[in-house]
Amino acid sequence: MKTSKVLRDTLIIAWIKSYPDFRRNPMMLLLLAMISAIPLFFMMMFNGGGNMIVHGLIGAMVASVAFAGVNSGIQDISWDRYVKIREMIVAMPVHPASYALGIALAPLLVSIPSLILFGGVTAYLGYFTLESLGWMILALVLVWAATSSMGFMISTYLFKSSPMVLNNLANLLGIGFIFIPPVYFSEAQLGSLSWVSIIVPTSNVAGLMRSYMGLLSLSTETVMIRWAVLILMSVAFIVLTSMKSRWRET
Amino acid sequence: MEANAVKSVGLRKVYRSKEAVEALKGVSIDVGKGELFTLLGPNGAGKTTFLRIISTQLLPTEGDAFVHGHSVVNEAEEVREHIAVVPQDVATYNNFTPWEYAYYFARLRGIGSAKAKEKAEEALKTVDLWELRNRICQTLSGGEKRRAIIASVLSSDADVLMLDEPTSGLDAVARRGVWSALRELVGKGKTILLTTHMMEEAEMVSDRLAIVNKGSVVACGNPEEIKGMVKEKFRVVINGDFKQLSNYSETARLGDRNIVYLKTQDEAIDLLRTSLKMNLRAETSPVTLEDVFVKLVGGLNNHENK
Repeated sequence: MKTSKVLRDTLIIAWIKSYPDFRRNPMMLLLLAMISAIPLFFMMMFNGGGNMIVHGLIGAMVASVAFAGVNSGIQDISWDRYVKIREMIVAMPVHPASYALGIALAPLLVSIPSLILFGGVTAYLGYFTLESLGWMILALVLVWAATSSMGFMISTYLFKSSPMVLNNLANLLGIGFIFIPPVYFSEAQLGSLSWVSIIVPTSNVAGLMRSYMGLLSLSTETVMIRWAVLILMSVAFIVLTSMKSRWRET
Repeated sequence: MEANAVKSVGLRKVYRSKEAVEALKGVSIDVGKGELFTLLGPNGAGKTTFLRIISTQLLPTEGDAFVHGHSVVNEAEEVREHIAVVPQDVATYNNFTPWEYAYYFARLRGIGSAKAKEKAEEALKTVDLWELRNRICQTLSGGEKRRAIIASVLSSDADVLMLDEPTSGLDAVARRGVWSALRELVGKGKTILLTTHMMEEAEMVSDRLAIVNKGSVVACGNPEEIKGMVKEKFRVVINGDFKQLSNYSETARLGDRNIVYLKTQDEAIDLLRTSLKMNLRAETSPVTLEDVFVKLVGGLNNHENK
């Protein structure tokens, strides 16, 4: 199959999976932004602003993307199985990569308005430089890749679970990845346990973003290690998924 | 040139879970181009398994099938260029409109935007959904939702359409709407492979059909040929306590109704007269596909019901 067809199908599937919801249920966008912003409100109330607000804004940006990533892998695939659209697509001249990438890309598109909102406030507060913006976008794309591939892997390994179980699991994982590790707060607060933040993709990316914004002091080696861990984690989940997943049932 | 649109050769499928279940036991079927072919069978007969193998979703344990000459086992990508599928119990995305279903599915088949719009319009008009094209599926009736899905495969312009029980759960009017659309497509040269457990549907829409039971084909032909496979050509349905039922060899009892199968119309008329003399309400008609189906799959029969 031609690469251009694979890419075009990816975009069509992403569009199918995002635009109708985006257009007909705009409340969903507000809800996504609100969920990501909840910890931010508490931080503003109890910490009296300052740098904590920026830490919270970084957390909200990471949460918008990571929650979308985990959900794309699990919820969308389980929902597609339920409505059987997946069966229809398998029997079409569509490459499995287009399907997987398309449904992972869709929630990322939906999370863009939240990202613009939180990013806009951060920029207004004066924490962005053009260079840091580039690194931060790359970090956010990688956390999307890591969490989406993790979602796909879980969905693939729990192929026979009901959509309801997978839906609950997606929400639990979202909470686990976003609210427990140092995503909304600086890993410096964990003291000697700060290394934990490297192995969780969301807190790893939040740490990188803080570093590029001058909120966290990391050596060049540490930054390199963090990028490598993030990339390796995404690749590992993708490999595990591709080993187990079957486009065609046997 | 390949004469058959679909040809299966000794297709066998064994599902292995706690215990092996043989869903298909060497099914061989030919479906001609431009033909509406129906797989008719009771629940669990293997119809869906057959369709899923032919549509490249499932690999067979043994045997192979060919769509326009391409093997479903080894040339799935080529097969997918020719087919479009409506799975069993398919549901709709609530926020989708029929237009989006028809248009985007055409786009996914590699059809360009302008052509896809044409195809979507044609498909929606065929299934009589053009007026409702911009309504979201959430607000459509069950039949309209099903027709929106069917429009998505019609717009694909595939040569072979495979529909797994497309009218199950639809009311009579909606069902006839789907049948009409299917026959119209056959008129345009499309090949349709349909599964159903509804006798009336099989009889009304099929050019040919195969009766499948427990993973095997027990009869194949056009509806008249299938009906000709049994010796009894007429039936008499008698309401009430018909004492002479045991005098007849081919009978069935449905509660207080007795069905007697007879070879000739004269025999049927004689029995009708006898019943009426006994003040029992009775009527006669040629045997239906359902009568033949029940006899062939060994369901309700005289031995169990005497």
